Amino acid sequence: MKKANALIGLIIALSMGSSLYAQRPADEALFREAKLLVYDKDWAPALDKIEELREKHPDSPYAAQALFYKGECLNGLGGREKDALRAYKDYIRSDEAKANLVEEAEGRVVDLAFELYSAGDAAALRDVESRLEHKNMVVRYYAAYKLSLVKDKRVAAKAAPVLQKIIETEKDPELLDRARIALLRVSPESLKSAEESLEARHPRTGSPRMLRIRIYDKGRKDAAFALNIPWALADLALGAMDDDDKAELRKKGYDINRIVSELAKSKESILKITGDDGSVIEIWID
Amino acid sequence: MAVAGIGDVTMSKCAIGKDDWAAFLAGELEEARRRTMAEHLDECPDCRAEAEDLKKVLARTEAVKAEIRRAVASVNWEALPALIADRVMAGERAPEKAPRTVRAWGGAFPLRLRPVMAGLAAGLVVGAAAMYFALRTPGSRPAPNTAYYASGEFLDRAELEMARRNTLDYLKKSQYILLDVFESGGEGLAPAAFSSEQARDLLARKKYLNAQLEKFQMAKAKAICDQIEMLFRELSEISEDLPSAELDRIKGLVEERQLLLKINLVRKDLEREI
Repeated sequence: MKKANALIGLIIALSMGSSLYAQRPADEALFREAKLLVYDKDWAPALDKIEELREKHPDSPYAAQALFYKGECLNGLGGREKDALRAYKDYIRSDEAKANLVEEAEGRVVDLAFELYSAGDAAALRDVESRLEHKNMVVRYYAAYKLSLVKDKRVAAKAAPVLQKIIETEKDPELLDRARIALLRVSPESLKSAEESLEARHPRTGSPRMLRIRIYDKGRKDAAFALNIPWALADLALGAMDDDDKAELRKKGYDINRIVSELAKSKESILKITGDDGSVIEIWID
Repeated sequence: MAVAGIGDVTMSKCAIGKDDWAAFLAGELEEARRRTMAEHLDECPDCRAEAEDLKKVLARTEAVKAEIRRAVASVNWEALPALIADRVMAGERAPEKAPRTVRAWGGAFPLRLRPVMAGLAAGLVVGAAAMYFALRTPGSRPAPNTAYYASGEFLDRAELEMARRNTLDYLKKSQYILLDVFESGGEGLAPAAFSSEQARDLLARKKYLNAQLEKFQMAKAKAICDQIEMLFRELSEISEDLPSAELDRIKGLVEERQLLLKINLVRKDLEREI
């Protein structure tokens, strides 16, 4: 009897094993197909595949990851932002969630919350604000950047401490430039104190600190364009100058990059250019 | 006559109405008190005269309010920060202007109304300041020479410029990583130069690009960046032990969709725009 029982047990174990073996490729194939459709932004059929995977193979190792892609599909479909937000949050809470995808999902939550807020759902912004204190630096920084774009400047100003921290501690130039521009939007005073704190810790002897540009229309004393920005943004600022102004300078034979580098050397001088239409451009550096 | 504040207009002769004249003239008193004060006004010529003066002041206030409203409507708020910046700078060069303004206000009104006018003027200044601070866009207030300032329009242009540069950088780095991965094909493992860390770094950068590419309607660049993002998500998950079958699958996808060619084309477009 014991032998018979052992034999039955072995048969059951083998049959279970083979069914597990058979299940793995089926769920994997579904997941791959879904991801390929996501790659092509074919959202509706991709969502169908993902739902099929989660229904037919709820215990699949891909079921949790599928939640992230469900969020991608719902987000891509448009009009289902709240459902997408829920899917990403479900993924973040999942025990099977992977660190890199969680970081991505957090970013998507910030984007969607911002989108919902912009469409009139004031409460949605809580998802962005709460991430200003997220343990993951990447999430924290992104939430601050996104919050800086909020039109209500009192709300946007809440991003200032995190943006200030980026300037004081980070080295990545792309991140630094973004933080500087975001702070210029929400709190130039915070940008100033961040730059001063940076300067105190890493003195840049002799290098300029501020670029100033003024453009006056003919006969006007009030500047039509005024700019005071950190020297670190000078290159970007010149690249962003109005095409007409750049053309004006080129027409007069001035190479704007050379001008600024010369001004940086002399520091004391002010470049004043009068255009054919009587407009005046002043550039100087402190 | 004693020099008095607004609540003390009738103080010299009458004990009545010390604190209520302004409310009385503005029609904000409760009925019983209003009747008492009206009766007193009928009987007391001094208080009547004071009340007439105060009425004129309040009427002037209304006129000023209307002027402020008209002025606010006519202000170009976009251009205001630049205007203020220049005024501040001009003010630093000519600081003697302020005292003259004070003298002009002081001389325009009789002595007994000076405290009233001072209070009114202070109220207007505070009110105007409050209006300015309520209406100004934080971040756009230029202050003395050392303050940073850039208009919202300029910051948008700077962000567009940054979007172009960063997208170019993202595409270049993506190309290197993809080429690196494919050059190692056949060995069955991901190349040493590639790490999930690089992919994660690019994925983190891509988040910022999403908003900018959408905002500035750079649809072609956005589409290609989205496809690269998906590939990197795959690579970042499996880079450590990338089996040759997986590598071939991703390689096949990149070739089939001509991703490297598309990256080159978008790069050329962006370089032309810079």
